[in-house]
Amino acid sequence: MKKTGFCTILLNVALVIIAISLIIPTPALSSRKKNISVITGVVASDFGMVADARVRISGNSSFSLTDKNGRFVLETPSFSSQPLTITAGKDGWFNNSISVWLGSQNANIRLYPIPNKDNQAYRFISPAVCARCHNTLAKYWDKSKMAHTTSNVKVLNMYNGTDATGRNLAGPGFKLDNPDKSGDCTVCHAPSAAATKGGAKDIETALWSPKTEWDGISCDFCHKIRKTVKTNDTPSLFKPVMKRQTPYRGNSIMVFGPYDDVVNPVMSASYSPVFDKGNYCAACHSQVGKTESKTSWDRKKVYTDTEWKNFNIGDDTIIPIQTTYQEWRGWQNSLPADDGNKGKKCQDCHMSWRKEMLPYDNYIIDGNARSMWGVKRDPENIRPHHFDGGTETQLKTALSLEIDGEIQNDILNVKVFITNTNGGHWIPTGDPMRQVMLLVSAADSQGHELKLIKGETLPTWTGVGNKDGGNYSGLPGKVFSKVLKDKQGNINVPFWKADSVDKDTRIRPKTTVTLNFQFKIKNPDDEPVAEAKLIYRPFIKSLARIKKWGIKDIIITTRAW
Amino acid sequence: MNNKFLFIFTIVLCCMSTSLAIAADLSGKVSPQGLRKADNILVYLTKTPDFSRPPQNEFVMDQNNLTFLPHVLVIPRNGIVSFPNSDKVAHNVFSLSRTKKFNFGSYKPGQSHKVTFDKPGIVELRCDVHAEMIAYILVMKSPYYALTDKKGYFKIDITDLDTGKYYLKTWHEKLKNRKIALDLTQAESKSMTIKLKRGAPGVLYK
Repeated sequence: MKKTGFCTILLNVALVIIAISLIIPTPALSSRKKNISVITGVVASDFGMVADARVRISGNSSFSLTDKNGRFVLETPSFSSQPLTITAGKDGWFNNSISVWLGSQNANIRLYPIPNKDNQAYRFISPAVCARCHNTLAKYWDKSKMAHTTSNVKVLNMYNGTDATGRNLAGPGFKLDNPDKSGDCTVCHAPSAAATKGGAKDIETALWSPKTEWDGISCDFCHKIRKTVKTNDTPSLFKPVMKRQTPYRGNSIMVFGPYDDVVNPVMSASYSPVFDKGNYCAACHSQVGKTESKTSWDRKKVYTDTEWKNFNIGDDTIIPIQTTYQEWRGWQNSLPADDGNKGKKCQDCHMSWRKEMLPYDNYIIDGNARSMWGVKRDPENIRPHHFDGGTETQLKTALSLEIDGEIQNDILNVKVFITNTNGGHWIPTGDPMRQVMLLVSAADSQGHELKLIKGETLPTWTGVGNKDGGNYSGLPGKVFSKVLKDKQGNINVPFWKADSVDKDTRIRPKTTVTLNFQFKIKNPDDEPVAEAKLIYRPFIKSLARIKKWGIKDIIITTRAW
Repeated sequence: MNNKFLFIFTIVLCCMSTSLAIAADLSGKVSPQGLRKADNILVYLTKTPDFSRPPQNEFVMDQNNLTFLPHVLVIPRNGIVSFPNSDKVAHNVFSLSRTKKFNFGSYKPGQSHKVTFDKPGIVELRCDVHAEMIAYILVMKSPYYALTDKKGYFKIDITDLDTGKYYLKTWHEKLKNRKIALDLTQAESKSMTIKLKRGAPGVLYK
């Protein structure tokens, strides 16, 4: 009994020693702490302390959140020859900052709320104004498709029923079938015009208006978006919620963006987390329509229940026309929490660095602004505005192709594997006129083509005629696309005439489609070869011919066996 | 009895002479049509015995300035490759090739991952967020291979290979594969020039 008591005392003493050793810093730890300074303060407003505000040293990647009393603690390296700029930002508030010296215990920052009301009569600022400071950023935007959505010839031809030469009544046209409707095209193709009170609802009016800020998807339009919400009022089923009050203070331009540390006299900036989320893009990269007959279509013939559920677009009188956002969201929802792709969003790929922009430098985002109020950032936190999508560079790595072969007596079995490697959505995505075509061929050692005896062939609408002219009808292969059908049974119709989706063979993210082909070998001792080619075509061939669109097919990749 | 012994000895000697191990170099120059540089072309022998025990070397596929370095990495079967991120932005290296599928997810500068490549063939590497990044890891069955330099020169060490008939093959991402029959009967170095045309690349091993 005594022995047990002694052991207990020894154990307690040992525990106390261990506890003390944990509390008292070792020399190594304290010397590490010597290089760290602490800055404390509070974030307050006219309405009380601000909890959950993001506080950081301007430009740093790491930040602290304020507690319920608005208090924050920031750790910084203990040397600085200049005062530090401490910034604070929160969704719904204007960013603000204060300059302090190291070790300051009262870095108190005041935040002001963004206005509740939206000014619908606001006149958007032309991108030319933004380019004065953000000149490099604007340069990449100007080269992107975003800048030219209003003046896109193909969009205008499909809207008016014209061709590339301006000839009227050349193929389908929205206005030909719907002379009294605008089609809501401006909502995405000229959003500044559509969002302005009394602005143009017709894309032609927006295009020819002297208001240059109506052309394209402009800087000021995107950076006036506060958030996006679900709605039944737009073809996309999502709409941006705008907040426009400029000048807000003095001559400052009110803007929303992904940074909580942008504070300068020219821009009244407000941090908005939606800029770093996929649903920011949903307002346009989603489009649905009612069936022309207003009746149900057999969606189970085309989509699995899970795919349809992920679209989340309503009942089966609705046709999914462009579902890039839903395709991405469905893919993300299907991934387990530990998957390497979990959390990937549109901005990660379509606003990532490109080699032509190197070396890494802030100039890509700041341009002239760098020499004024620009914030030096880690390249990780910079989003170049090139918005690449459907470009040759992206297409060439979006899909991969592998081919395998096996000879059995006088038969050559060819197996082709097509994988959606880099697409976070189905490929091709967006407009249903887009196709990816697989062409497969086999030849003997003398170069003579072998005859296909089993396997799919390309449909008539890929073009009848000379193969060298891009006509692939009847050739071994497959087309990956979404095919819209009208109530008369015509396929590849424009979206406003669609009554159902006939097929949707597009390739789902990170999945592989395997196809088998059999060719007849004339000489069983011969060593035949096989070749597979993936081609991207942005429009249906017959439509491109009527509209006089000079379109070049893009060869994505070619592989041989 | 002596005659019988002499007969057996002669037979053994004959057998040995037809499968004598070669110790020589196979070198040459590859001239690719339509390429600015002639490097990164794989030249290798097929129909050779596989590695009995592949070397356990570790190889590196680095990432810097939005580029995989090297662009083509040739390794023996079971080779281990580390993928450090020496860049200033995060990368997401992955492969969906049938030879080896893996996905590291997004990882930051300074971090690294490793993969063992246990199956011969072509592995196409991608970065999930940077469309321009692409590279190849070529996993070889046997040690008789070389990559060309910028001028197209290559040299394969063919130590410990029995005399016999083999194929010399080539691979490059933008060139048609070429297959040349080789009769390696003597332990002497060979030099050759290989012309290649642009076209669809084939598989490493049929």
